Amino acid sequence: MKQFKRSLSMRLALAFALISMLSLGIIGVYLYRSLQQEIAWRDDQALLGRLERMQLLLKNTPDIQALLERPELYANMLGNTQHFLWVLDTQGKPLLSINPAALPLPELQASSQPTFHQDPAVPYRLVAQRISLHDKQLVLIAGHLLTERQNMLASYRNTLIIALSLGGLVTFLLGSFISQRGLRPLRQLAAQAGAIDSGQLHRRLHADSDYLELSLLESSLNQTLARLDEGYQQLARFSADLAHEMRTPLNNLMGQTQQVLSRSRTTADYEQLLESNLEEFERLARMIDSLLFLARSEQPERSLALQPTDLNKLVEDLCEYFEGMAQERDLQLVNQCSGTLSAEPDMLTRALANLIANAIRHADPGSQILIASAEQDNQHIVSVSNQGAQIKPPHLSRLFERFYRADPSRSQPGHSGGLGLAIVQAIMRLHSGSAQVFNEEQGVRFELRFPQTLQMTDM
Amino acid sequence: MRILVVEDERKAAEYLQKGLSESGYQVEVALDGLDARHLIEEERFDLVILDVMLPGIDGWQLIKLIRRHGDTPVLFLTARDSVEDRVKGLELGADDYLVKPFSYAELLARVRSLLRRSPLREVEHYRLEDLEVDLLRRHVSRNGQRITLTNKEFALLQLLISHPGEVMSRSRIASVVWNINFESDTNVVDVAIRRLRAKLDDPFQLKLVHTVRGMGYKLDSVA
Repeated sequence: MKQFKRSLSMRLALAFALISMLSLGIIGVYLYRSLQQEIAWRDDQALLGRLERMQLLLKNTPDIQALLERPELYANMLGNTQHFLWVLDTQGKPLLSINPAALPLPELQASSQPTFHQDPAVPYRLVAQRISLHDKQLVLIAGHLLTERQNMLASYRNTLIIALSLGGLVTFLLGSFISQRGLRPLRQLAAQAGAIDSGQLHRRLHADSDYLELSLLESSLNQTLARLDEGYQQLARFSADLAHEMRTPLNNLMGQTQQVLSRSRTTADYEQLLESNLEEFERLARMIDSLLFLARSEQPERSLALQPTDLNKLVEDLCEYFEGMAQERDLQLVNQCSGTLSAEPDMLTRALANLIANAIRHADPGSQILIASAEQDNQHIVSVSNQGAQIKPPHLSRLFERFYRADPSRSQPGHSGGLGLAIVQAIMRLHSGSAQVFNEEQGVRFELRFPQTLQMTDM
Repeated sequence: MRILVVEDERKAAEYLQKGLSESGYQVEVALDGLDARHLIEEERFDLVILDVMLPGIDGWQLIKLIRRHGDTPVLFLTARDSVEDRVKGLELGADDYLVKPFSYAELLARVRSLLRRSPLREVEHYRLEDLEVDLLRRHVSRNGQRITLTNKEFALLQLLISHPGEVMSRSRIASVVWNINFESDTNVVDVAIRRLRAKLDDPFQLKLVHTVRGMGYKLDSVA
């Protein structure tokens, strides 16, 4: 049974067989019943006819007594041992009895109309009628045994059952053949899907069939494959980028250390080397720190400790933090934020700090950096805009990717190493929001969008 | 002051021993759990610095062992900064932890604060050479000359002068003064120090704010 359950085609064949047996059974029962009724009706008609003929015979015979004394005549008329006939007088005494099966005389109330009787104890059917003939009252009883009819119906029943079983078996065999054939494309799909491993994620499934269900399955499997492929490629690209990003500082470290060690130098030179090495080490440590943060933010169980956060206060603190840096570049930080946002304050601080640091790096000297909040389309938006060079359109969509730099040559040690914006995006994903970037007339605007559902009702 | 360093990585153990010795501590090193257990059972230390990933007996077991022997403060080092690890260490009775890679200045600061037997005295008035800082009145002067600082500059000076001679790492300064608790690659702290120096040191002969290269900043009468 377990194997049948596991095989879809076997289950289908079984279902077909069951359905066909059910419908054949219903038809069989119906046929059997109508045959039964038909035979009963015809038998009753025959009994009535016999009664009528007997009546006619009696009426047309002047000497009834003589007629009654020659029962073999009627016995011939009746034809076989299944049938019987009685003619009774008013006292119930049989004047004529043709009774080859030696049945007991039934006790009946006869009326002037023919009345049918059936006795559950004895398998026969009778019809009785009282007639008056030449001033005499007579009761005629004609009947026949039901055994022959029952035997016939029983054999018909058996034939029906055999036909039913054969029909069920044939549908099962045909059904299993057809469903196995019909499910063959499914097996093909399974075989194709099974043949795809991580190295062949570019391959797509193709079923040799135009059936709707299969093409639905095929296209959704292919979509899954496409997503996997994309994720896998991103991962591969990420690993390659990571190796490259780590190789650059390591290359600096090895090169400058070997160069300094190649001959004896002053203490100041050594100190300078160590200091420079330390800078590279710190860069590596920060990169690992950021990567760990990104990796952890993608763990599904990571949940935020959301709390109502005063946006103006948080941005004010950040403005104080960046004040010195901004002033060095003759920039002005303008805080136009208001309201309360449900967020994890440390996370929001980190995201905004990355955006502000980014804005300070790319703003035109002497301009303003605007940090503002707004509500739009059921979203809370915190934006950071700076005046300066626009970002070329092909870079815009990829700006939040890890290690992506709009300007590949730009890798000064002070810079974020290409992870700052990826972290911003990861933080926004954790908040079920999104991070976006737009070119403006005179610069660039970054937007953090928080879904309204995250907001507190009591501001 | 005797410090036991339990660290299986030889290079790390070596530099910790050198560094802490240079800061005036007596340092014993155990390179594995068994050595450490022996030393903990046989000798007395004022502080144990413990790497929790050890061959043989791991750091968690050692923390339990140390706790059974008394209340020697334990600073544990871990390469995994998962919350569970930190909670586990602190629950087992460790007093503080550092996640690798940590800055050496940070380690020194933690060691100092763990070895400071008595709690920090609430000081209202600091004096270093001719610099005077009155925390209550937020009054700063050098050589009797009043110096006006912004709030953040004052907070920065307060942090430095409350740990005279101690190196404050950039991340510690960012955390205490601005409540920024993640590693930032900006030069915000350097800019802030530059501005503090402009007001505090530039007009005077004697410089008090010193850069400790690669580590951070300190306030001291000598470099």
